[in-house]
Amino acid sequence: MKLHTLLAAPLLALAALAQAAPITLKDDRGASITLPRVPQRIVSLLPSLTETVCELGDCAKLVGVDRFSNFPERAQKLPKLGGLEDTAVEALVALKPDVVLLGVSARIIDRLESLGLKVIALEPKRMNDVERVIGKLGEVLARPDEARRLWNRIDGHISQSAATLPPAARGLTVYYEVDSAPYAAGAASFMGEILTRLGAKNIVPPELGPFPKLNPEFVVRADPQIIMVGQRSAPSLPQRPGWTGLRAVKNQRLCVWVPAESDVLVRPGPRMSEAAALMARCLRQAAAGPVPLPTEAFTAPPGGMR
Amino acid sequence: MTLGTRGRAALLLALGAGLFVLGLTIGSTGWSPLTSADEGLRQILWDIRAPRSLGAWLAGALLALAGAIGQGLFRNPLADPYLLGSSAGASLGLAVMLFFLGVSPASTVLALRVGMTGSAFIGSVAAVLLTLVLARGVEQTLRLLLAGVIVGVVLGSGTALLTLINLDVMRTMQSFMLGSTGFLGWNSVLVLLASLALAGPVALGCSRSLDALSLGEATARSLGVRLALLRLLLVAAMSLSTAAAVAQCGLIAFVGLVAPHLVRSWGNVTHGALLLLAPLTGGALLLAADVAARWLIAPQELPVGIITALLGGSYLLWLMHRRHASLGAKR
Amino acid sequence: MSAPHRLQLVLNGLALDGRPVLWPLQFAPEPGRWTAVVGPNGAGKSTLLRALSGLLPFDGQLTLGGRPWAAWPARERARALSWLGQNEGGADELSALDVVMLGRLPHQAWLAPPSAADHAAVQQAMAQTQSWDWRDRPLAQLSGGERQRVLLARALAVQAGVLLMDEPLAHLDPPHQSDWVRLAQAQARAGVAVVSVLHELNIALQADRLIVMAQGRIVHDGAAGDAATHAALQEVFQHRLLILQAEQRWIALNA
Repeated sequence: MKLHTLLAAPLLALAALAQAAPITLKDDRGASITLPRVPQRIVSLLPSLTETVCELGDCAKLVGVDRFSNFPERAQKLPKLGGLEDTAVEALVALKPDVVLLGVSARIIDRLESLGLKVIALEPKRMNDVERVIGKLGEVLARPDEARRLWNRIDGHISQSAATLPPAARGLTVYYEVDSAPYAAGAASFMGEILTRLGAKNIVPPELGPFPKLNPEFVVRADPQIIMVGQRSAPSLPQRPGWTGLRAVKNQRLCVWVPAESDVLVRPGPRMSEAAALMARCLRQAAAGPVPLPTEAFTAPPGGMR
Repeated sequence: MTLGTRGRAALLLALGAGLFVLGLTIGSTGWSPLTSADEGLRQILWDIRAPRSLGAWLAGALLALAGAIGQGLFRNPLADPYLLGSSAGASLGLAVMLFFLGVSPASTVLALRVGMTGSAFIGSVAAVLLTLVLARGVEQTLRLLLAGVIVGVVLGSGTALLTLINLDVMRTMQSFMLGSTGFLGWNSVLVLLASLALAGPVALGCSRSLDALSLGEATARSLGVRLALLRLLLVAAMSLSTAAAVAQCGLIAFVGLVAPHLVRSWGNVTHGALLLLAPLTGGALLLAADVAARWLIAPQELPVGIITALLGGSYLLWLMHRRHASLGAKR
Repeated sequence: MSAPHRLQLVLNGLALDGRPVLWPLQFAPEPGRWTAVVGPNGAGKSTLLRALSGLLPFDGQLTLGGRPWAAWPARERARALSWLGQNEGGADELSALDVVMLGRLPHQAWLAPPSAADHAAVQQAMAQTQSWDWRDRPLAQLSGGERQRVLLARALAVQAGVLLMDEPLAHLDPPHQSDWVRLAQAQARAGVAVVSVLHELNIALQADRLIVMAQGRIVHDGAAGDAATHAALQEVFQHRLLILQAEQRWIALNA
């Protein structure tokens, strides 16, 4: 017992030192950011980054978020600073954050940096991005171990979702529609990668890119066994010419995502395992028989979904 | 070699028919010969490719008809089908419907019942009516044009506001703004055909009066042309054609503007010939663009509005370069 | 040609943009006579012609064949009265033949193609104005004089009983001006009521009847050879005319 406490002491001392030491990292822009110490006041303008900060245990350090950060509960009570295109700069600066976390494509980065704020731009788009972003935020928050544990948990849950699928639910062809134009989630997209991990076959090959705008005839030809679509566009599917003949439509193998579920599915972040679980549930249900439609009526979140 | 109007019409119809056949062979796998059609492919041909190609031709014809009417009625070579605020109205109608989709269960049911095509059509017609009210009738063309511009700007800002409030609306509006022939089924074809069958003869019947109008309003009136009735009929035909095309295919730019000019570039025509040949030209133009949209990056699709702009615009550029003359020049 | 209806104008006042342009006057073109309307610039000659054609609203009555103007169906009216405006542009793309054929519009049923009578009328009108030879050329390719003759033919093709022409001699050279005079006289002899607004006094003095206008009023209405008419002319043109007779024709020169 005494030996452990003896060994623990220098470690604790190191940890304390680490809190006070400057942190340098490269963000997704390739810019090198140096923070004098671990940030205590954090503004996050990207929902996935908000969620990651909270998952790493530092939710209390968040002082402001964007309008689309709606998870966890705590984040909903924080001051909302608009979106990436229309951030309320004054309100943001008034919060006196130590660091601002946002996506790479934010217009406001230059403005914030010119005002003297520390800006870290991270944009998780695919599964391996999530691991990287969790790692980077772990560095920022001086919680490298939590970060590693978080990722292992997520990864483990996904593998578990994949492993517990019955054989009938494996290898099914899936069409995931993200927009009614129609835009599909290809194998190279975030949702597509999860589907691949779950053993499903995406009718859209990776060559077409992450979100190709398809000729509707392509879907009819591919005749997917399962169609995953948001609740907004779902009613219009049978009205499309030729789509009533699709076996997924005929046999009610449509997995319709309510807005709360869509939120999880499109966001490459720590709730990735939930996304995998949702898709696994869909695959399981579809393999067993017609998939039940959501009972609640479609209510769009007021600002739309990001 | 000069062809009479009938000869040109026959040629354009043949071109349309040829493009239609081509459209039947182009699908998500690119070009595939019709002879090797198996049962599944035959179903696809009938359900998807045939109505889509036919619908694209009809929509192009309607837009060209509206453009030709607009250019004759307002005696302005830059007139296009969207002159009287119809495009802004269609966009706003669609944006409102998308916005209310999901606000409450009742509004969702209503929005779904009206549908995207219904809301765009209603919005388009309502905007033209608003223009007519603002211009206090059809007496003065300048007032009509001005009112159309005002309505377009005001409704456009309304649409912009809605899309900013709700980002989902913006996503769907984007594909609407660029035009899409992707989901034209037999229902759409029927609607488009009915609109053309209604607006076409009305316009053709007014063609001689339009010719008289080109001699000046006073001369036209002295020849017995009832100007108010003429304008009302033509505005009605123009808005019906535009609303029908826009509701089914979104905002496809350029076809309505360019098709009449293409017809005029082949020789001088009276309005009777123009209002016959322009739709045939517009139909072929949009169908060609639709085929190209499907073919170039199959199985992905390009927005058809971009291709119409490229096709129509480049032909006109070439024409201008060759002739060294202004648009609508004579031989 | 349709049976000529008598056109009668009783005007109490006509204002454009709030400004009075015509004061109370009366005018009835006589069938079978050629009447010329003359006067200094701004006298209201064109406005009078437009009022006669029912193209401008005014305070008063306009009757055609005894019936009020508004009681006539538009097409019947258009068959009875033909108006040729001044500087009416446009129609650049139409061929000369198409333009003249427009003159037959009042005679054509809504969707009917041109009849044999229409073609005959067009050919006759174009022959009368010597414009038949270039009937297939678009208007934009014609010179000013050729174009004017096509527009004249258009007015003639209506074969109306009342023919109103505003500055019909624009761009016409002397030989074609003579042709026009002969045309006007032939029309008059055939029973048409011909009214022409002219600023070429020499031509106007060949008409059967002269209407002299000044400042929105009809100052004189009489035969072209009358001394009273000449006096009125002098009056309105500030006595700066020299009116002479040469080879049995009256001519007016600027003094």
